[in-house]
Amino acid sequence: MSDHWTEKLSAYLDGELTPADRRALERHLEGCAACRADTERLGRVKEWAATYAGTAPSPSVWRGVRDEIRRREGPAALPIAARRRFRIGTGLPLALAASLALVIVGVGGWLAGRATAPGSGLGAEERGALGSAGAMTIAARQTNAALLAAERYGAAIAQLEQAVLHDRSRLDSATVRVVVEKLGVIDRAIAEARAAMAQDPESAYLAEHFATMMRRKLNLLRSASAVRRS
Amino acid sequence: MSVLRSDTDLTAGERDAVDVELAVSGDGAAFERLYYRHVGRIHGLTRWLMGQEDVDDVLQDIFVRLWEKLHTFKGQAAFSTWLHRLATNVILRRRAERGTRSERYGGSLVELDRAAAERSTPGLKVDLETAVERLPERAREVFVLHDMSGYKHEEIADFLGISAGTSRSQLHHARMALREYFEG
Repeated sequence: MSDHWTEKLSAYLDGELTPADRRALERHLEGCAACRADTERLGRVKEWAATYAGTAPSPSVWRGVRDEIRRREGPAALPIAARRRFRIGTGLPLALAASLALVIVGVGGWLAGRATAPGSGLGAEERGALGSAGAMTIAARQTNAALLAAERYGAAIAQLEQAVLHDRSRLDSATVRVVVEKLGVIDRAIAEARAAMAQDPESAYLAEHFATMMRRKLNLLRSASAVRRS
Repeated sequence: MSVLRSDTDLTAGERDAVDVELAVSGDGAAFERLYYRHVGRIHGLTRWLMGQEDVDDVLQDIFVRLWEKLHTFKGQAAFSTWLHRLATNVILRRRAERGTRSERYGGSLVELDRAAAERSTPGLKVDLETAVERLPERAREVFVLHDMSGYKHEEIADFLGISAGTSRSQLHHARMALREYFEG
């Protein structure tokens, strides 16, 4: 390996060498393990940068964005939803993934709390909307619908979880391990979503994400239950 | 009951395209989805180009600007690419306003070597992020603009007031420092 060749490795990866230089470098690479290793690692650096997902900023940033847009365009600018066709993706939102505790908590009690005190965790706009169904904003209805869905999932989850986990002897150990691992991942996501919602109860997005995680947990438990019965 | 429809059949680009269309039509939830989907990466871009100062404020500016400009997105490039360009413009403008370019210029190969040497924890992602932060200013700027935002050296040279050759050289030095974080 020499500086003469290593200086060209980045340009090689970026396709910026002349054909003659590229051929010369490739001949060198055939006989130089160190340069081959560097080329491979430089490529991984480049790939890392291209796919870097980032880290979450403070939740206050989104609130600042929303408030500033509302200030400029009026309170109806965000988050009025025109239509509800698609839902969030499969990945855990970056904003949720930063630093929230991994404590797994039962969602049933929290959901029960929400059910007995509707709007207790919502913003002023939503609380007002919930008090007067006719005046409820579209965004508040979305948030509320997601929370109601999560509540229903929660009831089914409680039953299935008890059935599956208390009767785990009917499942083989490998299946139990997979189910428990997946439940742990989903429960962490649920806990993170719940914590994020506590910080930003007005967010329709977070309510949707919470409901999605609850639905995934329900689907997982249904699958495990089907295996158990079979 | 099927309250939520899955979008798992869509690619990330398709999800963005759908949400841009919805957000332009006034769907705030779609805009919020775009925000959460992209804010982590834009956060990194901002932090590495601005330093720690004003990061949240600049991030807010970027996404407010995004809301205002979203209707101009025509889909010729990927949304993420378009957003990176928009974000970079906001960042460079803020940097110019801050007027600290000359003070922040530079960095040495000694610093690069230190960045590579200070691999301290086994968490690769954290190590790399820390290493990027520790790169000399110019090398970090070029690396972020080229490898994260997809700018060409000629464009970077124009942004930073350097030659395209310097941009290439700084990129290579940055990558060489960061390569230490990957197993050979």
